[in-house]
Parts: sequence; C-alpha cells; structure tokens
Amino acid sequence: MEINAVQAALLGICACLSSMPGLGGTTFGNYTLGRPLVAGLIVGLILGDIRSGIIIGAAIQVIYIALVTPGGTVSADVRAVSYIGIPLAICAVKGMGLDPATAQAQAMAAALGAAVGTLGTVLFYGTATMNLIWQHIGWKAVERGDFGKLYLVDMGLPWISHIIFSFLPTFIITMAGAGMVDVMKAYLPMDGVAMKTLFTVGSLLPAVGVAILLKQVVKKPLDFITFFFGFTLAACLGLNLIASAIIGSFFAVINYKVIMVQNQRVSVTAGGSDDDEEDI
Amino acid sequence: MKKLSKKTLNKSFLSWFYGNLTCFSQEHMQTFGYLCAMLPVVKELYATKEEQKDAMQTYTAFFNTEPQIGALVVGMTAGLEEAKANGQPIDSEAINGIRAGLMGPLAGIGDSMIVGTLIPILLGIGLGLSGDGSPLGAIFYIVVWNFLMWFGMRFAYFKGYDLGGKAVEVLVGEQAQAIRDSIIMIGTIVIGSVAASWININTSLVLPGGGDLQKTLNGIYPKMLSGLAVVFCWWLMTRKNVSPTMVMLLLVVVAFVGVLIGFFDPGLSY
Repeated sequence: MEINAVQAALLGICACLSSMPGLGGTTFGNYTLGRPLVAGLIVGLILGDIRSGIIIGAAIQVIYIALVTPGGTVSADVRAVSYIGIPLAICAVKGMGLDPATAQAQAMAAALGAAVGTLGTVLFYGTATMNLIWQHIGWKAVERGDFGKLYLVDMGLPWISHIIFSFLPTFIITMAGAGMVDVMKAYLPMDGVAMKTLFTVGSLLPAVGVAILLKQVVKKPLDFITFFFGFTLAACLGLNLIASAIIGSFFAVINYKVIMVQNQRVSVTAGGSDDDEEDI
Repeated sequence: MKKLSKKTLNKSFLSWFYGNLTCFSQEHMQTFGYLCAMLPVVKELYATKEEQKDAMQTYTAFFNTEPQIGALVVGMTAGLEEAKANGQPIDSEAINGIRAGLMGPLAGIGDSMIVGTLIPILLGIGLGLSGDGSPLGAIFYIVVWNFLMWFGMRFAYFKGYDLGGKAVEVLVGEQAQAIRDSIIMIGTIVIGSVAASWININTSLVLPGGGDLQKTLNGIYPKMLSGLAVVFCWWLMTRKNVSPTMVMLLLVVVAFVGVLIGFFDPGLSY
C-alpha cells in the first residue's frame, strides 16, 4: 500500500492540529482529533479505507484510553500515535495480508502504535521548547503594552513550531514508512521469535493503558472489586459497554445516596455528642 | 459602575476555549492562553494604556491547570477584575492568590473527572459502537464530547464570573464530593468492561497431560489472564513506582520469554 504526497500532507496537517499542545485547541484538537478512535476515522478517510482505519484506531485507542498529562509530563505523544502510528499500522497490516478485524492485526497495530507513541515524545518536547522563542517575543510585547501581538504569539507563531515538529516528521515518516513493510516481510519471518514477540507485546499492551487509568481510582486492592464487577459483566455475561454503563449508573446512584445519608448521620451524631459534653 | 459586556465575556471565553494550550512551553504552560483570555476584559475595564499594562501584569504569573475545568478560574478572574476596576477592596495580589490556590485542586478534579472518567466512558462506548469497523463510534465521540465540553466550559466560565470567589464551594462541597465519587464509580465499572472486551491475552501452552491450559483457565474465570495482566501492571506502577514506559519495556521482555518457552504463540504465517 502506498501513501502519496497529498495524503502525507493531509496527515501532517492533522498532526499539527491534534497534538498536545496543538493548534486545534485542547478540546477539539488534542481530545478529539488526537484520540486514536477519531484519528482512525480521519486516517481511514484520507487513505480511502475507513473500515481498516477505524478497526486499527480502536485497537490502539485501548492503550491510550486515559492519557492524562499531569503537569505537562507526557508518556506518549498523540500526534505520533494517531497520525504516524495509525497510517503505518494500516500499511503494515495490509502489506502482510492480514484482515484488520483479526486479533493478530490488532496486536500488530497496538505494538506499532505504542512504539511510535513513545518515540514521539521527542516531538512534544521539541514543540514545547521552540514555543519558548515565541513566548520571549510575547514578554517583550507585554512590557511595551503592544497587546495585539499576544494573539499572534499564542495562536499564530506556534504554527512554525508545528511545521517543524509535527508536519515534517509526519510527512516524511508516513511517505517513507509505507515501503518498510516489504523489508519487514523479507527479513523477519512471521514464525520467527521477533515477530511472535511483537504480536504478543501488542496483545499485552492494552493492559498497561487500563492500568494507567486504574492508578488514579484504585488506591487499595479492595477498590478492584468495582473494576472486576465491570470486567465480569463483559467477560462472563457478555454485556456491551452501553449496558454496562447503565448498570454502573444504577450503582452510582445508590452509592451517592449512601454517602449523603452517611454525611447526614455524621452531622447529627456530631451535634448529639456536643450536647453530651455540655451536660457533663 | 463598570460592567463587562456580554460580547467581551464571549470573546474572552473563546480565547480561552481555543487558545489555552496553543503556545505551551514547559516554562510557562498556559500563561499565554490566560493573557489572551484576559486581554478583552482588561481593555474594556481600563481606559489608559498605563492602567491596562498594570492590569495585564497580574496575569503574567505562571498558570497551569486542567484547561477545560480551568475555564471556571478565567471566569472568576474576569469577575474579580471587574470588581477591582470598580474600586472594591481587591488587588492584583489577591487575584493571583486565588488563581494560584485553585490551580492544583482544579487540576486534580479535572484530570480525574474529565480526562480520567468522562473521556474513557465516552471512548468506551465509542469503541463498542465501532468494534466492527463502523464509523458510528468515532462520530458518537466527536459529537457528544464536543457538545458536552462547549456547554460545560461555557457554564463554568460564566458561573465563575457570576459567583467570583464563591465558585469554589460548588466544586469542593460535600455534595460535590459525593457526586464525583459516584461518577468515578461508573467510570471504573465501564473500564472493567472495556478491559474485558478489548484485552485478549491467551496462552498456547499445552499441559503435560495433553490438556489445553487456556481452556482450563476459561473454565475457572473467562479472560483471567487479561484481568491478571491489568492487576500486575497496576501493581508495578503504584506499589513499585515503575513508569508506564518502563512497564511497556518490561512487557517486551515478558513477551520474548513467553514466546521462547511456548507460553505465547500468535500462530501466524505469511
């Protein structure tokens, strides 16, 4: 499968818009265009194969389902995952003659996406560092009272950072990368240890994404009960995610009522013990 | 009595909605987004260049929080700046004190509620709808997420403007805590289902008696290996403080060894 210059350029523009810190803005850029599920649709449209794009985007999305960037520290770069990783994964899967809907194709996509995403953090630091130049211009403008320049600094000049660290890397890598599949096929046989390991890593990686998310909500082992409640709904009862969200909401309502009743009782008993102390 | 016009507030909100992170650097993070959002407010409240310069100086202080819930802080400071321009007893130090005090707690709430709960729920549902390659799930996420954020951030901004310093109570009160707790519960349950639907870890090991280990495990608890892998990664990250990147590298080693001893085998050929 080939990626032509126009397609690579479109992917490059999407990379500029979708990164963190991207030019599509936080909500529509990073958190919409940057999500691999959405990127799967867009890359699919650009490359002319929506079904493969969506299936592969979805497989990679699981790894990055909760990509929190506390205090601006990133462990993966969404522009690289979404607009370099997904196109390469589509080429690789098709080049190897796999059906995207198979578990093997998705494992392959996950492994490729994660590798590209981790290496892509370089692009994040590059963009953020280059923005320092524009901010320097901004400080000068604030000192002089030349406030109109602030918009240029905040929304215009960062395009230069993105042309260098988003557009060009995406353009070059996606154009060059489409041909790498043949090289892989020639040197790495599918039944060799290297390829077996790659596919196995891909099947293990989504566990990391889920664990990153759980890190925030599961503080002690007992908290895992809530997680495994949802796990069991899908694994044993075969419920889909909407059904499980509805069942989850039911228990959340109960949970809310229990906490509010507890809060009331605490305030009542607190009042009562005050009275006792006064009596003594 | 100076009063900010609706048009100015809208302009300030839009600047924040779009520009909060566009000129991000590790050093100043959201400071320039904040300056752009305050510019229309300051321009309308103060007539002379010198006053404007003074007022803008307040917002050159470092700012960083979860930018979407952070719209509340921007709205609050617009309200406080208006009060200050009307001669009420509030100065730029007080405004910066409130800003600095809210950054941390709001980042915590925003990261756990928006990025850690709302997005995974929406993506989880989207994944379910797109499982067979249909664009429906992606479209669902694009529409619902942007709808919720546009109106949610507008609400936060204007609520912050109306309430000023009192807006804090809305977020950290007892009732808000109970609601947050319950929403996180939905999120955790959905994530459990996402894990069970989307993680497929299977072993190809054949037991000495000729039995298939994967079948035996399925008999005990379906998808057991997938669940255990999640718990293992969680344990490494929370109890052993291993970084996510290191966990991924460790999984490469696990996969390699597993393939060598025949525990894992994707079973493919060209």
